[in-house]
Amino acid sequence: MKARFVVVLLAALLLLVLPWLVSTGFQHALVHAIVFAVFAASFNLASGSGGMLSFGHAAFLALGAFATLHVMRAAESGAFAFPTVLLPLVGGVAGLLVGVVIGFFATLRSGVYFSMLTLAFAELFHQMAPNLAGLFGGETGISTMRMPSLGIPFSSDLQVYYLVLAWGVLCLGLLWLYMQTPFGRLTLGVRENEQRLKFLGFDIHATKVIIFSLSAAIAGVAGGLLALANESANYELFSITYSANVLLYTFIGGAGLFLGAPLGAAILTLAAFAARNETQLWLLYQGLLFVLLMMYAPSGVGGIIARNIELYREGRLRALIKPYLFALLPGLCLTGAVVFLCEALAVVLSREYAAKRLAAGDAPALAEFLGTRWDPSALGTWALPAGLLFVGLATLPLAARMIRSAAGPHD
Amino acid sequence: MIELALELADVRKRFGSSEIIRGLNLQVRTGEIHAVIGPNGAGKSTLFNLVSGMFPADSGSILMNGQSIFGLPPHLIARQGLARSFQITNVFPRLSVFENIRIACMRRRGHYFSMLRLVGRLHNVNRETEEWVARVQLETVIHKPAGLLTYSEQRALEIAMTVASGADIILLDEPMAGMSREETAHAIALVRTIAQQRTVLIIEHDMDVVFSLADRISVLVYGEIIVSDVPEQVRSNARVQAAYLGSEVH
Repeated sequence: MKARFVVVLLAALLLLVLPWLVSTGFQHALVHAIVFAVFAASFNLASGSGGMLSFGHAAFLALGAFATLHVMRAAESGAFAFPTVLLPLVGGVAGLLVGVVIGFFATLRSGVYFSMLTLAFAELFHQMAPNLAGLFGGETGISTMRMPSLGIPFSSDLQVYYLVLAWGVLCLGLLWLYMQTPFGRLTLGVRENEQRLKFLGFDIHATKVIIFSLSAAIAGVAGGLLALANESANYELFSITYSANVLLYTFIGGAGLFLGAPLGAAILTLAAFAARNETQLWLLYQGLLFVLLMMYAPSGVGGIIARNIELYREGRLRALIKPYLFALLPGLCLTGAVVFLCEALAVVLSREYAAKRLAAGDAPALAEFLGTRWDPSALGTWALPAGLLFVGLATLPLAARMIRSAAGPHD
Repeated sequence: MIELALELADVRKRFGSSEIIRGLNLQVRTGEIHAVIGPNGAGKSTLFNLVSGMFPADSGSILMNGQSIFGLPPHLIARQGLARSFQITNVFPRLSVFENIRIACMRRRGHYFSMLRLVGRLHNVNRETEEWVARVQLETVIHKPAGLLTYSEQRALEIAMTVASGADIILLDEPMAGMSREETAHAIALVRTIAQQRTVLIIEHDMDVVFSLADRISVLVYGEIIVSDVPEQVRSNARVQAAYLGSEVH
């Protein structure tokens, strides 16, 4: 209990202080990280807790964003006043209303058919949006300005950060409380066994519509926050990319812990921002991480953390420190080898490099990646990844064995 | 006049070209333990599925406490006080034993959509849940995920969930299948306790269980009830012996 209190306190302190320590560009990324954390939490309510895998959650994010932008525009033009700090509520209401309608139909089916229906609804919006210039601003989208509220101008990313943070904490807090209510328990029951609930006397369709609509409402709030942060949006927000991303975030983060999905989303959003200048291949690495996790740790990073907390309670974590440190060796070696090979291939196979080679004639054409120049025709260049690969593959089974024997049987 | 918990008249159900239930008549008296026996494929589980609303009957009438439940969806039949267990264990595998039973108890207390209170504060529900855990002797595994229980523990959990949902008519589909002798003895005692204030309709293959437990027995053969009577009469009935029990009855 005490440990948990300390963790919460430290996390709160970090979230409050963090934006002061980073550049304005990174502040903007932090805002996005919180927005997508809320979005992932909403997705996780439907998919992780309720067992309804939505492939079209971007629809609610986008609708929340556009609804909020329209109210912002009206406020900007002086048509009516709406407090900036309450704007995400507009997104939430939009998400809720559309969520009820889509949810009513989609939840008539289960499993894959449900997923396909959500995908179809989202794609419907994606296709229609560019033609509905009044609602979604056509291809260019719509944009507006934030108005001051409560004496705060909301002109800087820093001010927006704290507003978004407050809403993010509120949403996650409400979702956490929701899971502790009888209906929250019922939500898990829907995931586990719909048929049993039906024969216990629960109206499954009504239950699922409510779960889905609430999830859509939170996604709408995330959309509202996104509108606040960007002051603009276009129809691309409806695209499958956003629906797929939130799925990726949630599964990498893991459904095992309440904070798994939002943390996954926040960290991956920040990582993508941090890597944007370093590599063109970030999405590839993210995909590789996803594949590896789904194969070897399907409960995601959250599941791994939950397992380690369990081991800590059983007093076995201490014995794992050494194996974990040792596992860093194959881990870093293999990561290094994979990154080297991917970056090298991306450059060597590029058109620019082909042109360079032509120009160089017989002389070796140097390829630039990972911050320096390499000669792809020299054997020495490939000795580095080969060595890393060799060491990594040689020590990997040993590391796995050490961890397994220290962790003991897992039920 | 005898009160009837369930009354089925001329019920028919067809799957494709084969008629599984062919004009079935059954009367289950309020408060009794009524067993349904019959050879494999006679339609026993189909009978349960029709009564509990898993799928609708084609024709006939199904009355529960004098009211028609014909064609109602399962959750409405359940809310009128009929609960069933399943032949294949049907629980919430990744939820703990406690959570499994608590969902059933929530239903009894009418918590369908309550989002404004914490489940930990539902003292009635939590107390009843603990009572049920104790009654089916699952205290030692109370926090274990239901999917990790042994087969017979899952059967016990299944019975507890069925009854804890607050029904007064209980349908048990082979509750003792796969249980050891002691487990069966305990389950028989449990069904007797349950039946003190409730009506129980039970499908069971073990004839020792059936004859020791049931107040009345119905024999279902090829989609029809051929006899419905007290155990002694069923045992000595010539048609039953010919159609089903054969030389097993002594």
